[in-house]
Amino acid sequence: MLPTSLGPWLDYTINGLVIGNIYALLAVGLALIFGVSHLINFAHGSVYMVGAYIGWLCVTQLALPLPVTFVVVAAGCGLLGVVIERVGLRPLREAPRIAPLLATIGLSVVMDQTAQLLFSPDPRAPPTQLPAWRIAVGGGSIGALDLLIAGVGVGSAALLYGFLRFTRLGWAVRATALDRDAARQCGVDVDKVNRTVFAIASALGGVSGLLVGMYYNTIDPNMGFQAGLKGIVAQLIGGVGNVPGAIAGSLLLGLIESYGIALFGTSYRNLFAFVALIVILVLRPNGLFARARRLPPEPLTGTFIAPSRPVVLPRWAVWGLAAAALALPLAVRQPYLLQTLGNAWLFALLALSLTLVAGTVGQVSLGHAGLLAIGAYASALLTLDAGVPVLLAVPLAGLVAATLGTALVYPAFRLRGHYVSIATLAVGEIVTLVILNWESLTRGPIGVTGIPPLAVAGTPLVSGQWVYWVPLVVLLALAAVQSRLLDSHLGRTLRAIREDDIAARSYGVELDRYKALAFAVAGFVAGIGGALMAHFYSYINHETFPAPVSMLALTMVILGGLGNVAGAVLGAAVLVGLPELFRAAAEYRMLIYGIVLLLLIRFRPQGLLGTV
Amino acid sequence: MPALPTLALLVRSAALVTGALSVLAALGVVQPAFSQGPPADPAKEPVVLGVSGPLTGQYAQYGAQWQRGFDLALDQVNAAGGIQGRPLRVQFEDSQSDPKQTVAIARKFAADARIVAELGDFTSAASMAASPIYQNAGLVQFGFTNSHPDFTRSGDFIWSNALNQAEEMPVLADYAVTALGLKRIAVLFINNDWGRTSKDLFAKAAKERGAELVGAEGYLADEKDFRSALVRVRDTRPDGIVLVSYYADGAQITRQLREAGLAQPVVAAGSVYSPKFLELGGAAVDGVHTTTPFFPGDPRPVVQGFVKDYVAKYGAEPDAYSSRAYDALLLLATVIRQSGTDRTAVRDGLATVKDAPSVVYGTVRFDPQTRRVDKPLSTRLVVRNGAFALWDGAGKAAN
Repeated sequence: MLPTSLGPWLDYTINGLVIGNIYALLAVGLALIFGVSHLINFAHGSVYMVGAYIGWLCVTQLALPLPVTFVVVAAGCGLLGVVIERVGLRPLREAPRIAPLLATIGLSVVMDQTAQLLFSPDPRAPPTQLPAWRIAVGGGSIGALDLLIAGVGVGSAALLYGFLRFTRLGWAVRATALDRDAARQCGVDVDKVNRTVFAIASALGGVSGLLVGMYYNTIDPNMGFQAGLKGIVAQLIGGVGNVPGAIAGSLLLGLIESYGIALFGTSYRNLFAFVALIVILVLRPNGLFARARRLPPEPLTGTFIAPSRPVVLPRWAVWGLAAAALALPLAVRQPYLLQTLGNAWLFALLALSLTLVAGTVGQVSLGHAGLLAIGAYASALLTLDAGVPVLLAVPLAGLVAATLGTALVYPAFRLRGHYVSIATLAVGEIVTLVILNWESLTRGPIGVTGIPPLAVAGTPLVSGQWVYWVPLVVLLALAAVQSRLLDSHLGRTLRAIREDDIAARSYGVELDRYKALAFAVAGFVAGIGGALMAHFYSYINHETFPAPVSMLALTMVILGGLGNVAGAVLGAAVLVGLPELFRAAAEYRMLIYGIVLLLLIRFRPQGLLGTV
Repeated sequence: MPALPTLALLVRSAALVTGALSVLAALGVVQPAFSQGPPADPAKEPVVLGVSGPLTGQYAQYGAQWQRGFDLALDQVNAAGGIQGRPLRVQFEDSQSDPKQTVAIARKFAADARIVAELGDFTSAASMAASPIYQNAGLVQFGFTNSHPDFTRSGDFIWSNALNQAEEMPVLADYAVTALGLKRIAVLFINNDWGRTSKDLFAKAAKERGAELVGAEGYLADEKDFRSALVRVRDTRPDGIVLVSYYADGAQITRQLREAGLAQPVVAAGSVYSPKFLELGGAAVDGVHTTTPFFPGDPRPVVQGFVKDYVAKYGAEPDAYSSRAYDALLLLATVIRQSGTDRTAVRDGLATVKDAPSVVYGTVRFDPQTRRVDKPLSTRLVVRNGAFALWDGAGKAAN
């Protein structure tokens, strides 16, 4: 039902601008950090959450007036930014560029968990000290806080613009952004620049957290993730590293979402936003507001992943480990251990899939959980609605995931570096949202119940041993295939694309075809993994494979060593195993997990087994 | 000399991995040591209930409420002598409501002979992934917030005393349509299995009572901005708005609804019943109508015992989630007292239990076929001056 008169459209426009205004607060800080460090800072959302809590403490516990609170929040979060830069990122200066990205994920886990332990997971209402008047605009109204948020957003962007244009330090920041090594040779203290940028961006992030907390009258320790995601999308639309572009991109994202709601309904909001993001990325890969004559802001993909000397396991060791793994259930009969390792093998399938596209071809995907979901739904619906036997449905689901996955990522093939990551992140979200909204096929929010278990000759394979053996056998088979593939001419071609796609192309390598081939193989492997999960779980819905699963997969792959098949398996085993091992630590376990993750990145940034 | 650095690297990474693993092993052994303990008098051994629920992650706030409800119930049960002299314990395993962790926890509980029955998990995706394991192991999975219509269908060991939406929604429709006189209703619902099922059942019940559903907007679980959704709602010209929401999103919608100038009466599903709804909603939630099966003003001794002790222990009013957890634990304690600590006996005991104390139900009686409870109590409430109050019949639609 579409509104026919102009009135509602005015309301939708105003609402879109108001919410875009809020996205802009985060996007500006993210753009600043990206501009200088070429880093998508996943910890920014957590800084935003910390700012909200500092503000809450100031107002409720210390009874400070609002202006003082803002100063304290900015100072506290600025300091936090300096600490993050010094402790989390500076030691990784010489590490492959993927390591700092992972470090920000680890830092964000540590900050979110600390806040949850200190302040309890309950949401709180920060008291507002602002006047309650509202101006009627169209059919709705705008309050003092809306204007304050707009003022802070535009004001900080203007200040930053002036800082970057007219001060010496600002010049140093821009010089570092353009070419870090050249800047250092010219005498720029690059560390100081980085510190400054993190301080400014984090101060802004903290103030945003407080403002948004006041706006929604609620703060909670998990508020950062979703907000950070929207900020990242917004700055991508505007063009990464472009501060005024980030504001424009945010307003545009707000408008896109608002019109999406107007046209299709509330539950299509994010679907509309992520589809729009992909369209914009494909049409204007540098963002809407990047100047055309600018060089591509991304360095070539190759530099994303540093070469390292991989640990090569001798052939007898591989066979020995595989045999030992297969024999384990004969010796150990603890179902809990077998289930945990079985889960690890299932996630190793996901990691295997991701390490091929992210490691070998250099296309770092942040939406890999989408492939699991496609495989799981394909297998579940084939068995339940089409009557296909389970053992046939699982490989078919692999084929479906290979086909759909490749088709969905295809528009992103012309993108490079971080843009690929964000495009795949969008694809992952789109898969989830289509599952939620396409009710006639997927049963929507109700999910798919009663998925039959794997069975051989009428005997269901549900005991602890089978939950361990089935994924392990599949994993060993697919890992063997992938290893052979990487040793072949095809593997060399894929690595050539990663190292230097221009050189590869001039050598006659058809990039799109090889990328498609890699995504098809990856889709098949992940699809099988998802299908097996569906049959083990018996129930799946749109929340079974959420966005954090994609992050987890990437963490596994980086931890094991990009492109490294054995590394993917090891990474999966470690990251599925760690939270279980830390179970005794109860609510501290995710904090410990975050710290262990940070230590591993710090001392072994190329991954446990090294990049292949 | 390429061999030497490779070797050094191998040694270094091996050392690193061994180091990490030994730390983990050290942490890992804490648990078996704790669980075995010295051989003790079986008549004094604790009776243990396993809980799988979110203590960290996105849903941690609900797990924290559960914990409060459980701890209070444990205090009371053990003060009254426990289970025939044996103390009752809860082993709360954090699942983050993540299916891959709930299945591991299920295996763990199933293999642990001390565990008599299991409670949880929170989301349907996490709970129902573990159901086949509990069913195959013959361990009762008791989902006290699992309202998914198919939750108990996994087998005869899967039970739930969650409110049945097929009963809850007609009660809400009675309030909105019959009592408040709303004729053109717009529904905002959280787009998950619970919200969607509730919305459909409410629509049916409202229609039977002569009202029309003029709009229905499903929103995503983590959404915070409802301005544009509310423009859609406004343009359907409803005379009342029904929320199928949890307390945080329910408070958010109500605030934004009033700011957008919508003055219609708001009726919310019972899940908003929480002090947090009042705190997060502020003045905007004044006048919101809701129903609750559990109300602190209820004079029954079980309710008074719960509310008084809860306020004394935590300094806050209980909410829907802590009361559900409290209720579930009391119920299982009663069943175990009557039927013994054998796992199958617990299942059979659930089928026959009659006079278990409950703050949510007048009498708890399971339908052995569906393994669910029917006839929850229901009290009509309205928010007045920042507190939930009994509804006195005021606020009927004028038009």
